[in-house]
Amino acid sequence: MALGRSDWLARLATALPDDCLVMSTYIGAVSFEWAHHTDEHPRTGHLGQMGDVIGLALGLALALPHRKVVCLDGDGSVLMELGQLVAMGQHTPDNLVVFVVDNGVYESIGWGDSGRRATATADRADLASIAASCGVPYTADISTQDQLDTEIELAFSRNLCSFLNVRTEPGHSRVAPRRTDGIEDKYRFVRYVEQLEDIWITGVPPQDLGLMEDQSPG
Amino acid sequence: MLQHAAKEAVRGLEDAGIDFVSGLPDGWQRNVHELVEGNDRFQYVPACNEGVGFSMCAGAWLGGRKPALIMENSGLRVASEYIARISLGTGVPVTLLCSYRGDVGETEHWGIPHGIVAEPLLQALRIKYLVVRRVDELRQAIVRAHRISEAQLHPAAVLISGDCVWDDRGGR
Repeated sequence: MALGRSDWLARLATALPDDCLVMSTYIGAVSFEWAHHTDEHPRTGHLGQMGDVIGLALGLALALPHRKVVCLDGDGSVLMELGQLVAMGQHTPDNLVVFVVDNGVYESIGWGDSGRRATATADRADLASIAASCGVPYTADISTQDQLDTEIELAFSRNLCSFLNVRTEPGHSRVAPRRTDGIEDKYRFVRYVEQLEDIWITGVPPQDLGLMEDQSPG
Repeated sequence: MLQHAAKEAVRGLEDAGIDFVSGLPDGWQRNVHELVEGNDRFQYVPACNEGVGFSMCAGAWLGGRKPALIMENSGLRVASEYIARISLGTGVPVTLLCSYRGDVGETEHWGIPHGIVAEPLLQALRIKYLVVRRVDELRQAIVRAHRISEAQLHPAAVLISGDCVWDDRGGR
């Protein structure tokens, strides 16, 4: 059994704590649907690509250990760089929860004459088991709505490094593609984090700082 | 790396304000990893490959940290996929400290391809870099590499070789 992607992303978006941060893919159907369900809220960094989404989320979670960090990735992306699961099991930040849209296909490349191209999870690869064997403290392979609701509630009611693989039906909901590029996504996310954490991430050039000091009154 | 050079590298990281370090230990910078791991000024987050290490550094920067990645130059090839995706694509700075295996003076045949690829690869990735072969230049080179990485919002690198790794002044 598997869940409809847009539906379960909508449920996750509704349950998301206001003060969390999200690291997501920035291209492809997952990104488009997530942006649609979250009204492009800047708490999501649409900055990850194939093979680096969990790594980015891991670094973010380790940098901000007091902040819940949610990662949204796809099966093809996780499979591209399994070393991310090794790192997740090695460092186990208890503020990190990874949700994987595991639909068993490379959906965003489109369909060929023979249909969708399958990923290894359509066959025998089991991402939740791989994550568990890498030492990730909590993993689940989710395939029903009830199970998803339970795991979402658990994820946001406790602090435990978790990898939640959601078996998902292939197929698009046909929401609008996003119009931003990675540069705009980065600045939007960085400015949000700066405000949320009361920090500067990008600085003011030292010469400009000095200039303002020279001209300041008194 | 010679121990006094490794200490200079760590002083450079401190001077630059680096507070998050990832990477994969190699034969030359093994002692730099040890010094960083034992230093409270750094959050040390080792990785099983340099690509994952780079992604974690980039994520840490998005959370307000000043990251550095320490690796052999062979690791540049592994990290290049994520450097291209993340930094060429979105503009995220990470300071890179790379052993320059295959530089003039290399003793190991397996280091030669690392030396052939390193500089052209950095240039292809539009990464500015300094080659440091003198211990007394290492500390400031790291500070300067970090400084431009922040100014350009893109990685900058220091390639380390020469007197930093070989004590061969007797002619050997």
